[in-house]
Amino acid sequence: MSDAPAPRVAIVDYGMGNLFSVKNACAQAGMSAAITSRREDVVAADVVILPGIGAFGDAMRALADLDLVSVLRDVAAAGKPLLGICLGMQLFMTESHEFGRHRGLGIVDGEVVRLPERPEGRRLKVPHVGWSRIRPPAAAGLGEAPAWSEPLLGAVPAGDFMYFVHSFYCLPADAGAVVTLTSYGPTEFCSGLRAGNVVGFQFHPERSGSSGLRIYANLAASLHTTWESGNGRTAGSEIRTA
Amino acid sequence: MSNQRPTSSIEFKHTRDRKVRVLHLDEEGVCDACRFAEQKEQIDWAERERQLLRLLDRHRRQDGEYDCVVPGSGGKDSCYAAHVLKYTYGMHPLTMTWPPLLYTEIGWKNFRSWIEIGGFDNITFKPNGRVHALLTRLGIENLLHPFQTFILGQKNLAPKIALQYGIPLIFYGESEAEYGNPIADTASSLRDWSYYAMKDLSGVHLGGVSVPELIEKHGVGLNELTPYLPADYRRLEAASIEVHYLGYYLKWTPQESYYYAVEHTGFEANPVRTEGTYSKYNSLDDRIDGFHYYTSYVKFGLGRASSDASQEIRNRHLTREEGVALVHRFDGEFPERYFREVMEYVGLKPERFLELCDEFRSPHLWERVGGEWRLRHRVS
Amino acid sequence: MSVRVIARLDIKGPNLVKGIHLEGLRVLGRPERFARHYYEAGADELLYLDVVASLYGRNSLVDIVARTAQEIFIPLTVGGGLRTIEDIRTVLLAGADKVALNTAALRRPAFVGEAVRRFGSSTVVVSIEAIRQADGRYEAYTDNGRERTGVDALEWAKRAADLGAGEILITSIDREGTGKGFDLGLTRAVADAVPIPVIAGGGAGKIAHVWEVVVEGGADAVSVASLLHYTAIRHVDRAETAGAEGNTEYLRRNQPGFSGVDDATLPEIKAYLLARGVECRPTPSVTSNV
Repeated sequence: MSDAPAPRVAIVDYGMGNLFSVKNACAQAGMSAAITSRREDVVAADVVILPGIGAFGDAMRALADLDLVSVLRDVAAAGKPLLGICLGMQLFMTESHEFGRHRGLGIVDGEVVRLPERPEGRRLKVPHVGWSRIRPPAAAGLGEAPAWSEPLLGAVPAGDFMYFVHSFYCLPADAGAVVTLTSYGPTEFCSGLRAGNVVGFQFHPERSGSSGLRIYANLAASLHTTWESGNGRTAGSEIRTA
Repeated sequence: MSNQRPTSSIEFKHTRDRKVRVLHLDEEGVCDACRFAEQKEQIDWAERERQLLRLLDRHRRQDGEYDCVVPGSGGKDSCYAAHVLKYTYGMHPLTMTWPPLLYTEIGWKNFRSWIEIGGFDNITFKPNGRVHALLTRLGIENLLHPFQTFILGQKNLAPKIALQYGIPLIFYGESEAEYGNPIADTASSLRDWSYYAMKDLSGVHLGGVSVPELIEKHGVGLNELTPYLPADYRRLEAASIEVHYLGYYLKWTPQESYYYAVEHTGFEANPVRTEGTYSKYNSLDDRIDGFHYYTSYVKFGLGRASSDASQEIRNRHLTREEGVALVHRFDGEFPERYFREVMEYVGLKPERFLELCDEFRSPHLWERVGGEWRLRHRVS
Repeated sequence: MSVRVIARLDIKGPNLVKGIHLEGLRVLGRPERFARHYYEAGADELLYLDVVASLYGRNSLVDIVARTAQEIFIPLTVGGGLRTIEDIRTVLLAGADKVALNTAALRRPAFVGEAVRRFGSSTVVVSIEAIRQADGRYEAYTDNGRERTGVDALEWAKRAADLGAGEILITSIDREGTGKGFDLGLTRAVADAVPIPVIAGGGAGKIAHVWEVVVEGGADAVSVASLLHYTAIRHVDRAETAGAEGNTEYLRRNQPGFSGVDDATLPEIKAYLLARGVECRPTPSVTSNV
């Protein structure tokens, strides 16, 4: 282990979200995380996590009230690791269609749309609540060596189950930003994206048991290297285990 | 529990001005029931069970004759007692029922389950309805004790059935000491004979009325009173009939009797909270039950929730604090559900019942505040 | 879509308790130990219900929630006596992911809407405990199955969904704790009536019952208590019983089992479902610890 001070992880508190679960998961992975709504803390952190549960419009309003909108955009622009979870991921997008049209942070090009309740005549319950599989966008068989391009998913088997609870999902404009796909009924949606230093997961890694905790472990490990923007690296190349 | 709690009395000598012997509180302010609960933990239950086995071995019949009587009506305790005697200890019990005045639906269902799922022979003795209603009304008017007619049969009938059928053993469930009868009573497994036997008719009062007055003033024939009278002491002695408490031999936890009864005899809890309390598994089968507890509340300041909560506190199912909260919330709740029906059954006007309640309120317990009755001392 | 198997823990004070028909407070042990056991065995979610909170007018689950949240990384739903927005906030801050509302919601339905607006639909589960009436309809009860409301359970479920609830937990009080199987008619009626996920509760006594309530009852998730606890009790550390609070008689007798339910574990339940084509998350293998 290096002698450098423990990475500072800021979990953004804008009044919505299961902050303590995220904090506990960080602790489990050996990262000390602070739950904060202060600009200074977000700016000073090495990693910023944007969690979220609730309505898009309310969230953007809360962020604006706390004067965190520009800070988050700055974090993204500065190349600092920024992880969005569930609603947090959706907030990165340009716009959402939840209860009207709302502008998002605009960090990642794309929209947020509702899960259909009657896709192809079938009846689906919304919100989507429960464990569903994530798989890489490139065709890969289940159980084969993970073909993730996403370093945070190192050692997570393709097709592993993660916990979802959402009614909306992201449609990134750039297909290349999609790092995991999930199916809910006949609807296939983006369950994970990366655009440079910005990562988002629609599922809750901190509520996905040991599978999800791996993501936090990978995040912790990645803090010991520089988190590079641009092309993703395959698991195992630059990541040193903690 | 308070020092107002009355101990069991000899029901058939109960008159309006008898002095009630109350719960004994010792120098530390701890009542007999709690002391008994403490003692329960120290008892060598293995040894008690051995005693039970010796007793049962002496009486067990396998020739088709009954060897013991289990009185009850399908409540959780009689379900447990009958089942454990038959299936664990290999006895051949005859269950015996002095039925509730007015079965509730759940009570009737549980009675049938007891017999049909539990698998027992049963004799039910239903007394003359006209007299039953009359004596109940007299009990309310003279003693504010609607439950007396039920209690009379509950205590008296089993020994008489035992005599009739030549069955030497009778098993009741818990000793009344669990609820606060003098602790001396618990030293033996036997119920004191004075509760269920008599020497002669002198001093006998039913519904608070003497036998001669019942005959002359209320037109009840002596024959019609027989079901309510206890057996003759000499006949019981000659037949060597013994009345035991199974609770002396087997550790009794009322809530566990509930689980046992559900598991083995199809017992079902009340679908709603029983009026006046928070529980759903105690005393469910008689529509007049609620009035028994309500009148106790009026006379002694202790309602059903107090009774249930104290028992559960003694058995450590509840903390005292929890019990107090429940008592404050539910004690003394008026038994509205069956009020009209019960009053019609006994032939009393509802207003008269309420008047009687007020007549019987002890002034040292109740005060009138802003047009309403309030207990002077609330548990806290 | 994957079916969730949820371990339900009824809690009174410091103890895991298990009743029948929501009556009886038999202590089975410490909730945290059972929770840990179920997490490792592959539970998809945990459900903590303080069974006496409404009855006693108090809340006491916060400590247990906080302890659980620190070491268990699957969703935790907490219910029992949550009456105000503040109550909900306290429990969420302690680490719960969702809250289950019953008594308070029935007394004042607007409360559901308020909670949804403040915390989000997905955080709010409306829990309905119902008893079948003579005419075949189901009535909703409050206060741990003790007070009638006169409200039709099905109508209430629809209304709760309209008010924004994220899920419905529907429990049959008639079946609860008996091991006789779920009330399939009740589950199916609710599942068909609302557009949100439905969790079925009350009555599992065999592994097959879990499958049945999904396939025939249309449940999206299944809440299981007795079926799991009476087996788990053999594998979980016994808590100190001497002097312990609550009805500990059963624990002290040390006779395992309750004849109403079969032996069952979470891996067995998952395997059974998978073998019959019901998708669910299999129990994570032991080697995959982080």
